[in-house]
Amino acid sequence: MITKLNIDKEFKRKIAEISNQRISDCYQCGRCTAGCPFAMFMDSPPNQVIRLIQLGMREEVLKAQGPWFCAACLVCQTRCPKGVDIPRVMEAVRVIHLRAKECILDIPQIDYEYMLDLPPLALMSAFSKFSF
Amino acid sequence: MRLPYYPGCTLYTKAKPLNETIRSCFNIVGVELDELPHWYCCGTTFTLARDNRMSLIAPLRILTKAQQEGKQVLVPCSICYNTLKRANFIFSEDREALDIINEHLEEKYDGKEEVIHPLEFIRDNQDMIRNKLKKPLSGLKVGCYYGCLLLRPAEEMKFDDPESPSIFEDFVRLLGGEPVEFALKVECCGSYLVVNTPDAAVNASYKVIKNARENGADALVTTCPLCFYNLDALQTKIRQQYPDFKDMPIFYFSQLLALALGVDENGLQLGQNRVSPEIVLKKYGLL
Ligand code: SF4
Ligand code: SF4
Repeated sequence: MITKLNIDKEFKRKIAEISNQRISDCYQCGRCTAGCPFAMFMDSPPNQVIRLIQLGMREEVLKAQGPWFCAACLVCQTRCPKGVDIPRVMEAVRVIHLRAKECILDIPQIDYEYMLDLPPLALMSAFSKFSF
Repeated sequence: MRLPYYPGCTLYTKAKPLNETIRSCFNIVGVELDELPHWYCCGTTFTLARDNRMSLIAPLRILTKAQQEGKQVLVPCSICYNTLKRANFIFSEDREALDIINEHLEEKYDGKEEVIHPLEFIRDNQDMIRNKLKKPLSGLKVGCYYGCLLLRPAEEMKFDDPESPSIFEDFVRLLGGEPVEFALKVECCGSYLVVNTPDAAVNASYKVIKNARENGADALVTTCPLCFYNLDALQTKIRQQYPDFKDMPIFYFSQLLALALGVDENGLQLGQNRVSPEIVLKKYGLL
């Protein structure tokens, strides 16, 4: 339940600072989620991640899988009628995790044969988005 | 004519066909590519965290080197192109960020180098290509797959209309081929998600190829080594997950250009395309 007590203003401020976005501009039209190619993989799709941040629900945001399925494709950025750069917000959530030394990509666990098959730019991109 | 050239890491490893066909094509049309001396990785995908200035150092160094070679630098890989161009946007718009980074480096950069993609160069120099065409791609129906990074963010990339671009179709038309319109030409292939959540990339690439097929494409063409991997190499996994799926050959844009400029079969470097384009090319008498 949301009460005044569990709104984490500092968390909202941190996300706004790293992403350089005015999260409060979002009016929840859902266009970002409608166009997101990976929304179906996300427990909380882009508009919900934004909403949780607006409500200052730190724990819920940090538990959300959405940011880990964001490929930074920028479709939502192109389409948001309010000019919110959603992938920057997703990145802010990711870097809060990564700077706390939590990452979802355990590099030694990647199958060796698969790693050799992948192009270097895929690996480098995933390392920089998902590990520290 | 000479043009500074930044290939990037993947063009020396998994995307050799892209590097080699670009080189031979530019050679044929009389442009000498000057590869930047001692270049390094651009860092791949552009950082979206405003306070991550570290990620801007590699692009700044690359752009400084490029500036020593000429006013424009040619960058074929979509990820390098996006990263260098977005970093350059910051350097030209945000004096403060540029000063902070310049202060910590030996190199000094003024934000004025222009990053260009081969498709832009070709758009602006069509006669150069037209005069050298040997084998027009008559009949070949090609879906032009833009993906994300050439186009977005539109305000910074200034490449083409982000929702309905046409520069790639014009390129295919210039080569005598028939571009096929399909809605998912600007949709993501799954990008780096292929590393830890391959299912997301398999699903996204499946949809792209299926959509192109439904609109009559024989093949897809791309500029990006990561899109190429997802669309080409993942077809084995796509087939396992979606029994209705039919293979589709994927080309680098420079392979089609090389074909149209009459480069011999060896020079096309089609051996690394996992879905063989042979049947499609033979159907139109192109091989
Ligand atoms: S498209 Fe923009 S305004 Fe609409 S829900 Fe998404 S972030 Fe909010
Ligand atoms: S940038 Fe991320 S959140 Fe936005 S549409 Fe693309 S994958 Fe979805």
